[in-house]
Amino acid sequence: MRPLNYAILKLYEDGSEIDVQGVMSRLNDDYRKFRAFKPKAINESLMSAEKNGLLEESNWELDDKNELHVYYKVTDYGTEMIKGYIK
Amino acid sequence: MNDSVDLKQARRARTASFFKKGILIALFSGLLYGFYSAFIVAATSSAAWYPGLNGAEGWYGGADGWYDQVLANQIPDLVNIAGASFSVLMAVVILGALGSGINDFISSLWMIGKAAFKGKFMDFLRCYKSKPGLVMIVCALIGGPIASTAYIIALLMSGPIAAPITALCPAVGAIIGWLFLKQGMNLRIGIGIIICVIATFMISSTAFEDFSLTDPMYLAGLAIALIAALGWGIEGAIGGFGTSVIDYEISISIRQFTSGVFTLFIMVPVLFLIAGHFGLFPTMLVEAVQGPLVEDGLLASPLIFFLISGLAAGFSFAFWYKGNSMCGAALGMACNGGFSFWVPFVSFLVLGLYLGWEGYALAPIQWIAALVMVLGIFLIAVNPLEFFKKQKEA
Repeated sequence: MRPLNYAILKLYEDGSEIDVQGVMSRLNDDYRKFRAFKPKAINESLMSAEKNGLLEESNWELDDKNELHVYYKVTDYGTEMIKGYIK
Repeated sequence: MNDSVDLKQARRARTASFFKKGILIALFSGLLYGFYSAFIVAATSSAAWYPGLNGAEGWYGGADGWYDQVLANQIPDLVNIAGASFSVLMAVVILGALGSGINDFISSLWMIGKAAFKGKFMDFLRCYKSKPGLVMIVCALIGGPIASTAYIIALLMSGPIAAPITALCPAVGAIIGWLFLKQGMNLRIGIGIIICVIATFMISSTAFEDFSLTDPMYLAGLAIALIAALGWGIEGAIGGFGTSVIDYEISISIRQFTSGVFTLFIMVPVLFLIAGHFGLFPTMLVEAVQGPLVEDGLLASPLIFFLISGLAAGFSFAFWYKGNSMCGAALGMACNGGFSFWVPFVSFLVLGLYLGWEGYALAPIQWIAALVMVLGIFLIAVNPLEFFKKQKEA
C-alpha cells in the first residue's frame, strides 16, 4: 500500500483531470480509515503539488451549493517526477 | 473560459487563503526557531554543560573557562572535559554535535508521536523506504549533521560573524528553487532576497567588532560558514519540494529521526573514538540530560530544556518545509529567515528576562533591521504596483 500522498499523485499519472471529491471517491476503498483522508488536507496536498509544478489547474466550476471545484491535471514535469519517484 | 464573477471571486479567495496561510506558517517557523535556539542554549548551559554538576566546572569550563577564552579569541592548545584531554576543535565539535544530536533525537520522538497521533505512523514507515524518503534522508544529513557541524566550526574559527553568513541560505534556497525546481524568480524577488540578507547582516552587526580579513583562520571560518549556508539552502529548497510529494508531518519525522540518530549514535561516538575517549560517550550522554529540575525557583533541568527545544525545533522545521512547499522556496525561506531577528529576540525573553542571564538585550539596530526584513519579505511576496492598485480599487 502506498502512502496517502503518493496515492493521490499517482491518480494523475494517466492524465486524468480530478478534483478533491474525485480523489476522495477514487481512494475511498483503500484510505477511508486514514485520519488524514479529509477534503481539507487533500485540497492542501493538491495546491502544494500545483505550487511545486507537479500539477496544474485544468478546470473549475461552482456547484449547486455554490462550492468551488478545481480540477487538476499533471504537468510534463509532474509526470516525470511521479514516474521517476513514486512506485 | 468565460468565468462568472462568483467563480472568479471564489478562485481568487481560495488562492489568496492558501498563499496567506503559507506565509503565516513560514513566518511562524522563524519564530519557533527562536524558541528552539534559546532553549538549546539553556540546555547546553545547564548542569554538566557549563556551570558544572555538583560544583564541578562543567564541560564548557564555566565562567572564564576555555570556551569563554575561545570566544575571546584566546585559543588554548588542549582543554579538559570530564577529566579527559581534547583538542579545542574536537571539544567544540563534540559538544556541539552532542547537543544538537540530543535535540534532534528528542525532536524526532515528538514529531513521530504527533504523526502517529494523526494516524500517519504506517505512512512514516512506508515513506522512509521510498525514493522520495531517500531524498529527505539525504536532505536531513546535509542540513543536519553536515551544515550544523560546519556552522559550529565556523563559529569557532570566525566568531559570531559566521551567523549572518549562514543567513545567505534563503538566497541559496531561492536559486536552487529557480534552477532545479522550476520556481518563479524575477528582479523584484531577487531584490527582496538581497534586502533580507542585508537585514540579517544588520542584526548581527554587533558581532563585527573583531573583523579581520587578513587572518587565514578567520577567512577559512567564513568559507566553512558558507558550507552551512549552502547545506541549509539545499535542505530548505529540496525539503520544501519533498513536502509536495510527502506529507509534511512525515517529512519532518524523517528529517529529525535521520539527523538525530545519525548525529547522536554514529557521528558523536566516532568523534569520541577519533579523540581517543570512546568510553566517555555513554557517561556524557547520560550526564548531558541530568540535573536538578528546579534551581532558585526557576527551571534548570537540561532534559526539560531539551524537551522544549526539540518540540520547538520539530515544529519550526516542519513549518519551514510546509511554508516552502506552499509559497515556493524564495518566499518561504525569506519568511523563515526572520529567525535572524527571532533568535536574539526570544533569547532576550527566555535567557535575559526569564533566566536573568546578562548580555541578551537587543540593540536598536536589530529592531531597525527587523523592519528592513519585513520590507524585503513584502517585496518578495507582493508586486507593490499591483498591491497599491488593488488598495486603490478597494
